[in-house]
Amino acid sequence: MSEQQTELVQGKKITLNITTPRGEKFVEEADMLIMRCIDGDLGVLPRHEPVSAVLGEGILRIFNDNVEKKIAVFNGIVEIDGTNVNIFSTIAQRPDEIDLERAEQDRREAEAALEASEEVQMRSLQVVLRRSLVRIEVSLHLDDEDE
Amino acid sequence: MTSMRDIKQRIENVRSTEQIIRAMDMVASTKLQKARRQLEGVRPMYHELKRVVEEIGNKEEVEDHPFYFERKVKNSLYIVLTSDRGLSGSYNVNVLAHSLKHMNEGKNEKILVVGSKGNEYFKKRNKNIIRKITNIADARVYYGTENLAEWVSELYLSGEVEEVYIAYTRFENVLSYTPQVERLLPVATGVELEGFENSDEKKYEPNLATFIDHVMPLYLHMSLFRAFSEAHTSEQAARMVNMDAAGKNASDLIKDLTSMYNRKRQAAITQELSEIVGSANFLSK
Repeated sequence: MSEQQTELVQGKKITLNITTPRGEKFVEEADMLIMRCIDGDLGVLPRHEPVSAVLGEGILRIFNDNVEKKIAVFNGIVEIDGTNVNIFSTIAQRPDEIDLERAEQDRREAEAALEASEEVQMRSLQVVLRRSLVRIEVSLHLDDEDE
Repeated sequence: MTSMRDIKQRIENVRSTEQIIRAMDMVASTKLQKARRQLEGVRPMYHELKRVVEEIGNKEEVEDHPFYFERKVKNSLYIVLTSDRGLSGSYNVNVLAHSLKHMNEGKNEKILVVGSKGNEYFKKRNKNIIRKITNIADARVYYGTENLAEWVSELYLSGEVEEVYIAYTRFENVLSYTPQVERLLPVATGVELEGFENSDEKKYEPNLATFIDHVMPLYLHMSLFRAFSEAHTSEQAARMVNMDAAGKNASDLIKDLTSMYNRKRQAAITQELSEIVGSANFLSK
């Protein structure tokens, strides 16, 4: 039975279809897909049960003939039906479409801004406060024992 | 009787107008190419998403969902897409007349008008304009419609309007575009879909409610973006066709005026000649 199943799985490939508002369509054959959904990764093999899911922001990994490809997909939805996987997303980028310099710069700027933001400072202050309170209470206990 | 000088001046006038017309024609046709590419890009995405949300609409458990539930209609929001500039023939008038007719079928309208032409039109007719958007740059349409989709769904969910219509001009080809009024919200339920079967077997991850929460903003965004693209493409096509016609009229007029001028010139020469011949005959007598 299990052999039969693997055979079925091996005999079929997933047809991946990505639709974006620019109409750029990636049509690919794949043995397996792993995509990021809002509540974790979702792996898809051929003959998956019909399901629609909400995509998060992450990497779509496409495995075909032992070659792995990666595509950046930001939000959107996916419709899976047997061997057809349709992804509708506002942004889907292949590695060659990504401006690495720009992404690095964005990361530096965002990290710097995050570091400087009040919220982060507030949170670290809260941690300091909480720890100091705990330390004070514990040290009081030590005094009691000494007496 | 117009003098030769007057005709000449008129030819000059028409000729410079023709140059402007040709320039506008060229601008419109380049813009049309661009708009068409954008439109053809967004159409498949829109149609697929529409199918997805309508498929959900066929499920029984969404009947009470705010995006599907048909409340008693008190106010209707109309999003009317027109152009900022004229010289596009009957493009604006068609979509405006169409939406006005729709509103007058007993709707209590609130209008979001896009484009100054629509704004003037509805102001003149004392319609209830709640927001107007004019002079949006082509490049900002995409993100603009994203914000707009948020605004629309807030308005809809807060109960200020019970339904949302969008009036735009659908682009079919360069020579034909039809004004449309479509209901955006609530999403129609029980739509017969081709090849639609065993709806209960289909699962939604993580659950149906979350799925709807995520797909709706995307659907609304794409609906608006697509409608804007349709309208923009139709506008450019209408302008191009009109400018073509105007250019043809201008060159016809120039041709007529030139032949009129030539006839006048001929007449003047003939007259002068006969005067010379006449006086020569008189002198040789």
